Amino acid sequence: MIENYLIHILILIGIYIILAVSLNIALGYTGLLNLGHIAFFGIGAYTSAILTREGIPFILALIISCIIAGCFGFLLVWITKRLKGDYLALATLGFSFLIYSLMLNLSSITNGPLGISGISRPNIFGYFLKSNFEFLLFVIFIAIISCMIMYAIIKSPFGRLLHATRDDELGLRVLGKNTIKIKYKAMIISSLFAGLAGSLFAHYNGYIDPTSFMLNSIIFIFTIVIVGGIASFKGSIIATFILFIIPELLRFFAIPSHVLGPTRQIIYALILIGILLFKPKGLFGRIDLE
Amino acid sequence: MILKIECLTKRFGGIHAVKDCSLEIEREKITAIIGPNGSGKTTLFNLISKLLKSNDGHIHFNGKNITKLKDYEISKSGISRTFQDVRLFRNLTIKDHLEISLSNSDESIFKSLFKDKPNNAERIDRILKLVHLKKPLNTLVTDLSYGQRKLLDLAMAIAKPHSLLLLDEPVAGVNPVLREEIKEIIKNLNKNKGTILLIEHDMNFVMDLADYIFVMDAGKIIAHGEPAEIQSNKKVLEAYLGD
Amino acid sequence: MALIQIIVNSLIIGSLYALVACGFSLIYSTNKFMHFAHGISVVIASYLFYLSLNTLKINFIISILLVLILTGLFGIFMYKVFYGPLQKRKSSNIVLLIASVGILILFENMIMLVFGTTVKTINSDLTKSIEFSSFIITPLQIIIIVTSLILLLLLYLLMKKTKIGRNMRAVSDNKELASIIGIDYKKVSYYSFFIGSLLAGIAGIFIALEQTLEPTIGTNLIVKGFTGSIIGGITSVPGSILGSYILGIAENFGIWYLSSGYKDAIAFTLLFLFLLFKPHGILGINKGIKK
Repeated sequence: MIENYLIHILILIGIYIILAVSLNIALGYTGLLNLGHIAFFGIGAYTSAILTREGIPFILALIISCIIAGCFGFLLVWITKRLKGDYLALATLGFSFLIYSLMLNLSSITNGPLGISGISRPNIFGYFLKSNFEFLLFVIFIAIISCMIMYAIIKSPFGRLLHATRDDELGLRVLGKNTIKIKYKAMIISSLFAGLAGSLFAHYNGYIDPTSFMLNSIIFIFTIVIVGGIASFKGSIIATFILFIIPELLRFFAIPSHVLGPTRQIIYALILIGILLFKPKGLFGRIDLE
Repeated sequence: MILKIECLTKRFGGIHAVKDCSLEIEREKITAIIGPNGSGKTTLFNLISKLLKSNDGHIHFNGKNITKLKDYEISKSGISRTFQDVRLFRNLTIKDHLEISLSNSDESIFKSLFKDKPNNAERIDRILKLVHLKKPLNTLVTDLSYGQRKLLDLAMAIAKPHSLLLLDEPVAGVNPVLREEIKEIIKNLNKNKGTILLIEHDMNFVMDLADYIFVMDAGKIIAHGEPAEIQSNKKVLEAYLGD
Repeated sequence: MALIQIIVNSLIIGSLYALVACGFSLIYSTNKFMHFAHGISVVIASYLFYLSLNTLKINFIISILLVLILTGLFGIFMYKVFYGPLQKRKSSNIVLLIASVGILILFENMIMLVFGTTVKTINSDLTKSIEFSSFIITPLQIIIIVTSLILLLLLYLLMKKTKIGRNMRAVSDNKELASIIGIDYKKVSYYSFFIGSLLAGIAGIFIALEQTLEPTIGTNLIVKGFTGSIIGGITSVPGSILGSYILGIAENFGIWYLSSGYKDAIAFTLLFLFLLFKPHGILGINKGIKK
């Protein structure tokens, strides 16, 4: 019993680690204030759910989800490349609302507010991941690979350029670097992995609807990244564990389930506001959010 | 001739910051643009490096028309520059700054992941010696003094592959000792066949440094010539004293 | 549907957006950060109104006055407890914006805890429709349009003719200069939060009467409000009002041509088009944009 519960939490943690670290690539390392990250997650989830529903094999659907999410990442930078600060934040937020309203309204493919149910469990070259334990192993595998790739990128010479773009874009352009292109690349990487996480989420949950990809979820992943620390790789990973475990403690207090949801959100909101007020660099970060 | 500017004009609203400016810069020479504050020197620099867009005129660099290039393309074509208010990356170290300046393949994710990383240690060491910056390589720029930042900014401009170096008030705000040091650095760069264009409002600083001088006032070139000619030019004295 | 009906519908929804947008824009222009949690003021007002009128059975007019004052005070509360300390820490605008989204989520979920997620409605005689030859309207909708126009005019006069308004404009233009000539910008911030939230409160009461009550409507409204502000120019209160009506018109014409589900998508597309081609809006000043 407790085992199943633990496995469930660990699977979600694995998925959200990919999501949080990928947000940190854009937000922390590159300084792209992207409030639309959850939209990429949603796009990945929907793409994968729809494709496998149409009979496309899981692995292929997973890859296509990443690509489609990456394309939207490209599109978002294309739209917002002249904006900065508040305007960028609100435009990206608008983007996530736009995607949300498309999920609601393109009913013929997304099934509207009812969402898509009965999403199949991953079938990897003929092998079905039936049990949650098998799924957990798969998620751990993908999460480790994803984190290794993202870590390699941020530690590479290209990763240095991400920091530099965040710190002084004009200064970097004068050194002959095309910062717009750097932003495109950073956002594509970021959205690609968010799409990957989305696909995993859809196939684990078996059911998705537009409400999973709204403001509450945006705040949740933002809280993870900010609690862990801007541009702190380790921070995002540890903060994912912390933020999943804290509200789980509520379960020991026999709180009715309709109270649990809002309480969890209240806790996240308070943690977010609290950390902004008292420790804005997060637990492991050394960079201020600007 | 490495840089040729023809009839360059920049207006802010109705005011001409740079008006009908034409000049030519010779290779392997130190050329200075002097003029009182607000005479349009920095605007001219920003026009050359395309941080500002000119209203009129052309810029030729190494025989190519670079007027329409973007800021980073101009930099890539071989023009390095420094800033009067240095622009550094707050969360990066001295080493990072110089690696970024030296590299020309770090924009490609593929190359920066899979290609052998060039060992720049020796070059970085040499450049830092050249600018007399004696600080551990892993020092964050926020831990540097004003003068040290100025030196790092200069080191970055030198490290970046270039055939023309633009120095924007290289000694503004530095102490007299460092001022002489920077003068020596510039002379050394020139000895190694470097072409340098610098702007400075202090006439004395450039007199025994520059090979050729342009004088700007109110957005226009009012005189040019070798230091000795400039020193005795009436118009120049008026521009300075009348300021 | 007749053209005139579309225009009437646009005016109704435009008025509600304008009430939200002008408060948002007022707060932005004096404080220079985006108070995204402005949406929750609308929700709080509508639930307080429900509480006062339906649960506590307080008289209609008194309920309105009570709710408006409380919502205004809630605005001051948010500034005092959250934004003030953040500003004191010299947090960047981005931090304030993220905090404001956190505040929105915080109170949205508190309302869910207190009132539950079931949809609530207030029954009122004001929603019985009157049929004209070419369009239908309810007395409430007439009140919404007329009151909004009067209020927006009053806001304009407040900004132009009173000392508070002049101080607000001074702070909005140049905070440092304003404080040199002796304007207490803290006080101006309080005023702008009070007045802005009060206007949101009026929108909240109208929405409580006109539509149904849900804790999550705040997000949608503030997104529409800031879309209106961006269209008209976020730094300009009249601009944000103009933008809100434009948004109302665009949405209603869009619904007519497409389907009602696309209302939000139309708004966001409009938002992007403006951010892309005219980011400082129709009447705004060029700020926050490169070059």
